[in-house]
Amino acid sequence: MARQITIDPVTRIEGHARITIQLDDAGAVQDAKFHITQFRGFEKLCEGRPFHEMPSLMARICGICPVSHLVASAKACDAILAVQIPHTAASLRRIINLAQLIQSHALSFFYLSAPDLLLGLESDPVTRNVFGLMREHPEVARDGIRLRQFGQHVIELLGNKRIHPAWVVPGGVSEPLAPEKRAEMLAALPEVTGIVEKALEQFRTVFDQFREEVQTFGRFPSLFMGLVNDDGGLEHYEGKLKVVDDKGTVLEEGIPPARYAEYIGESVEPWSYLKSAYYLPIGYPDGMYRVGPLARLNVATSVSTPKAAQEFAAFKQLEASGPVLSSFHYHYARLIEILYALEKIDQLLNEPDILSDRVRAHAAPNNLTGVGVAEAPRGTLLHHYKVDKNGLMEFANLIIATGNNNLAMNRSVFQVAQHYVDGEKLQEGMLNRVEAVIRAYDPCLSCSTHAIGKMPLRIQLKAPDGTVLDELVRDSDGKRG
Amino acid sequence: MTVPPARIRTLTIDGKDVGAREDETILDVARENGIWIPTLCQMTGLSNIGACRLCLVEVAGSTKLQPACVTRVEEGMQVTAHSDRLAEYRKMIVELLFAEGNHICSVCVTNGHCDLQWLAQRLEIDHIRFPYLYGKRSVDASHERFVLDHNRCVLCTRCVRVCDEVEGAHTWDIMGRGTNARVITDLAQPWGESTSCTSCGKCVSVCPTGALFEQGKAVTEMVKHRELLPMLLTMRGRQR
Amino acid sequence: MSTDLTPPTARSDAERGEPKPKVKAATVWLDGCSGCHMSFLDIDERLIELAQHIDMVYSPLVDPKQFPDHVDVALVEGAVSSEEDLEKIKRIRKHTSILIAFGDCAVTANVPSMRNSFSVKDVYQRGYFETATRRAGVPDQVVPKLLPQARPIHEYVPVDVFLQGCPPPADVIYGLLTDLLAGRKPNLTEHTRFGR
Repeated sequence: MARQITIDPVTRIEGHARITIQLDDAGAVQDAKFHITQFRGFEKLCEGRPFHEMPSLMARICGICPVSHLVASAKACDAILAVQIPHTAASLRRIINLAQLIQSHALSFFYLSAPDLLLGLESDPVTRNVFGLMREHPEVARDGIRLRQFGQHVIELLGNKRIHPAWVVPGGVSEPLAPEKRAEMLAALPEVTGIVEKALEQFRTVFDQFREEVQTFGRFPSLFMGLVNDDGGLEHYEGKLKVVDDKGTVLEEGIPPARYAEYIGESVEPWSYLKSAYYLPIGYPDGMYRVGPLARLNVATSVSTPKAAQEFAAFKQLEASGPVLSSFHYHYARLIEILYALEKIDQLLNEPDILSDRVRAHAAPNNLTGVGVAEAPRGTLLHHYKVDKNGLMEFANLIIATGNNNLAMNRSVFQVAQHYVDGEKLQEGMLNRVEAVIRAYDPCLSCSTHAIGKMPLRIQLKAPDGTVLDELVRDSDGKRG
Repeated sequence: MTVPPARIRTLTIDGKDVGAREDETILDVARENGIWIPTLCQMTGLSNIGACRLCLVEVAGSTKLQPACVTRVEEGMQVTAHSDRLAEYRKMIVELLFAEGNHICSVCVTNGHCDLQWLAQRLEIDHIRFPYLYGKRSVDASHERFVLDHNRCVLCTRCVRVCDEVEGAHTWDIMGRGTNARVITDLAQPWGESTSCTSCGKCVSVCPTGALFEQGKAVTEMVKHRELLPMLLTMRGRQR
Repeated sequence: MSTDLTPPTARSDAERGEPKPKVKAATVWLDGCSGCHMSFLDIDERLIELAQHIDMVYSPLVDPKQFPDHVDVALVEGAVSSEEDLEKIKRIRKHTSILIAFGDCAVTANVPSMRNSFSVKDVYQRGYFETATRRAGVPDQVVPKLLPQARPIHEYVPVDVFLQGCPPPADVIYGLLTDLLAGRKPNLTEHTRFGR
């Protein structure tokens, strides 16, 4: 009699999800799936709207990384305007994009995953959260809060609003940077850079305690995709797409975003509202690739800021050769990226023309189609729009970071379930490991469903026709019922 | 020939003794005396039509509520401009406007600069008690400089009046009835094909919401210049 | 509608000079973008102070999977868009003293309601046929069915407090929670509005 374990909702991730683990008669894991349960239909609901509204509208896909959507959307709109935006505008967009990378990574690492790393995957589920972290490791909690606050504050200084700022617009940004705001950002940088450096030291030893997880947390061969700049270095705003395989062989580089459709396909999974992206030349499912911090550091050959470059060199040592394959190292990659972002913001703020008031290009819709790509905290994000001659939206296709990772996340859930879930003994810590691997990807499910309720953990005994024969329930206190 | 001076009338508004010329409306007098009465379709410089009903007031001795913008003062009138009953009606009117259109404030070009949004806040409306209609409404972006978004239109007809009374083009009008009523340009042609429109932009500056805005404006960027019309009329020397 | 957050037991405890039990709070996310939840986190270090008075018993931020039998105050973000959202909001209402519609999607259905002028079929068509390169079709296993329209929470269950904004500013969220903790009924339209 095959049985099914359902984890619903998956918590401490950003979105609505459910995991089902299918057991065979012997109680061994036969299959595991990660279901996204929300769908809002942004690709349709934007139809008929003026394209100038798209950046702010698409920002509402996600409250965690609205700036990524603002940036990718504005870049698609720039392509429709057929303009090259002023250099200062591009630099300011870079700063706000990096500020968001900082706050989002801080949220993922300190608020959502650190409770697992510091309190332990076997610890009490009632206190295994950011509030428990505040009690047990107040310093770490404070550091996380401060880092996220810095990122959010930079966003607010530039965009006048922490979440969903309307400042990134087609053709550039809506107002230049004021000198006093620039001074305020520069003044805060040394302190927050210190926090990240401290965290990197502290967690190096913590990561060492998770050897088993490193081997089993989604450690499998896959392709990796991300933007790189002209020098092949780490890049989040402009650049071309690069795809490498698990050995580090370059399959394709220099892909201009406008030609994405030749390389990226999207498959519908009947059991999820999230489509699975795959690398078209290889096909489905072998064209599975990963995006995000781990993938970006895997595809990049250099990092242009000094402190992050040192960490990058250490990261590259994690595997004897080739890309880092374990999804557990997303956490480490995230910290390195925070450090990079802080250094990069410093560089950008020191550009000679950063205070220029030339920050916006105006034009009519000169092209009827536009594609914009940016690296969101969670990975490559793509907006593709078609408009009519008056600039009203006719079509949108959005490929979201988490959709890029969908196949890999499902593979990881299966791998962890096989290793840790034993159908005969159901332990909360095991199941939390299954959730924790999802947390490593930091999926932004509100994004991916551009399209979290709670039920107890249920194990259902299902007959082949799907009728539930028996059910075990574990309530929120961890008690078995 | 000299115009005889207008006679003076005395009345009370919310218990306050006020004086007015006989040709003034209750709204005029209230404003002169710093008494706020909410309005939406009314705009100084355009004719008053009493369409939105937000300025309804109670007049002693009458069971009917009177729109303050088109009701002339009378000697000894006792006007109540603020009561629980009026507050409730005004709230309902604004809520119905929200329920009828598709006012997605968060992603609107006039977010933060919109009369309807401001009224909702001023009248302490924190949610809409009527079921939203979510009707299918279109956007006309065919004009080179301006956009018409029917989703945000509250049918106040300020655009119709300013185009007729001030610009003299009468490009704008209304067609249809009830929830199907909508503003049109010429004979319901796309605005960009209108032969009467002078592209002066007066309609855009008087529109209270994000229904009329300039091409290329992103969310929150459309600020309406309400001071333009009174200034223009003053310069023309025929202030109404 | 009582919005006094001090439980009756707490009042008698206080009279006996015992420490006040913590308020049981929940945050829930229906059809929204999590921006309201993020704005709640934007109260930054005040979270630590708040954690001394509030016990977060159910939230995307903590692990328990089941909505408790009794919650003093629940912040619910997002519109009601799927059959699952509807089940959830009914369950939440049943077990919650003070239900707060948290942000514009919960209060007005906001951006998610923009799909309402299209049929669900058309929305699926774009999402799972026109933009798919493989196995086009509507997901129908395990995932909840969409309702014909995304609509605000109060059209389904009574709501006690409406907190507007996209998202509501962090200071307003903090002010609301401290008001409720002190037993005050705040006037929110002074501080926020639709679309803020």
